[in-house]
Amino acid sequence: MGIEANSNTQEAGFLTTSADKLINWARTGSLWPMTFGLACCAVEMMQAGASRYDMDRFGVLFRPSPRQADVIIVAGTLTNKMAPALRKAYDQMAEPRWVISMGSCANGGGYYHYSYAVVRGCDRVIPVDIYIPGCPPTAEALLYGIIQLQNKIKRSSTFARKKVEA
Amino acid sequence: MGKNTSPMIEALQAELATSLSSKVIKSDIAFNELTIEVPAADLLEVALLLRDKHGFDQLIDLCGVDYLSYGESEWDADVSGFSRGVKNTDDIFNFDAKPEKEKNVNDDFEAGRRFAVVIHLLSVKNNKRLRVKTFCEDNDAPMMDSVHGVWNVANWFEREAFDLFGIIFVNHPDLRRILTDYGFVGHPFRKDFPLVGQVEMRYDEELKRVVYEPVSIEPRVLVPRVIRASEGTRDVTEADN
Repeated sequence: MGIEANSNTQEAGFLTTSADKLINWARTGSLWPMTFGLACCAVEMMQAGASRYDMDRFGVLFRPSPRQADVIIVAGTLTNKMAPALRKAYDQMAEPRWVISMGSCANGGGYYHYSYAVVRGCDRVIPVDIYIPGCPPTAEALLYGIIQLQNKIKRSSTFARKKVEA
Repeated sequence: MGKNTSPMIEALQAELATSLSSKVIKSDIAFNELTIEVPAADLLEVALLLRDKHGFDQLIDLCGVDYLSYGESEWDADVSGFSRGVKNTDDIFNFDAKPEKEKNVNDDFEAGRRFAVVIHLLSVKNNKRLRVKTFCEDNDAPMMDSVHGVWNVANWFEREAFDLFGIIFVNHPDLRRILTDYGFVGHPFRKDFPLVGQVEMRYDEELKRVVYEPVSIEPRVLVPRVIRASEGTRDVTEADN
């Protein structure tokens, strides 16, 4: 977290860090995904959430409502009929929000790329942060994707400020 | 018939031939299953007879069939072991094309008629199954009597056949689309419907909603790559030696 040790303050019981780092630590430690299982990828997502892989260890707790969620995991084939519902669910999420596209179908249509009924990638409907390849991706791959998202969030800064010339 | 045909099926065939007589155009036994063909005009009458007199109290499945370009394929299936009398044609998706009798390998349907409805029936008390096939008279506006009044379960099956093939079921209580998107145009299981469809979807930042646009990709025929030719296995063993 980049806690700075300063002998005087430390002795007095204080630790110093930047607000960005503190906020990002809090955000990455409690990524609550909204369940958006659309197809077989959803089974792998459940697997990742169950006791063997146990996403709770990363503070990842599935939420049944978009209002309580930080990240939406699009797990499966997004059809034309479902696309407005996905967008609506995304719009209901509070900022800051992230999107993980899980599996070939969500990434670019996958097996159903040439279908009349399938959206060729969920990034046509919502902005995606992390793409996880696979058909379906393993539970490990999904975990890896979540960790990548955490890394991405850690690199972001909440407060915009002027760059100090050296 | 075939040597695997059970006497029970043959008995049912004879029974239906006497009972329905002229209403059965065709009656075939294949793979120990009986299929009868019935004219569209007689379907409702036959359905009632089958339910009340022959004990077919349960409808298992109802589906549409499009016989346009039947027996033709876009890729050569001979080497794969899935050969079904393939004839390669370039203009397979021609809307004006009509099935011709000579073209069809199995000679399975009357020339010129494109849409059929197939009903699968089960008689629980007699332990018998039956397949009833009916061709729609009109190719441009395929129509058929709804059997919803005979078997209630036909409701959603007929909606599905309407949605995917555009077959209109007369006297259906609620003939709406059931699977495709709201406002969908066309009937996707028709052979002349392009696989990629007519429209595709994306989110419009300015309108703040998902919008349909004309499809941007070219249709493509996906040809399976066959790696399991019958000689192939022998080659591998020889190479191993």
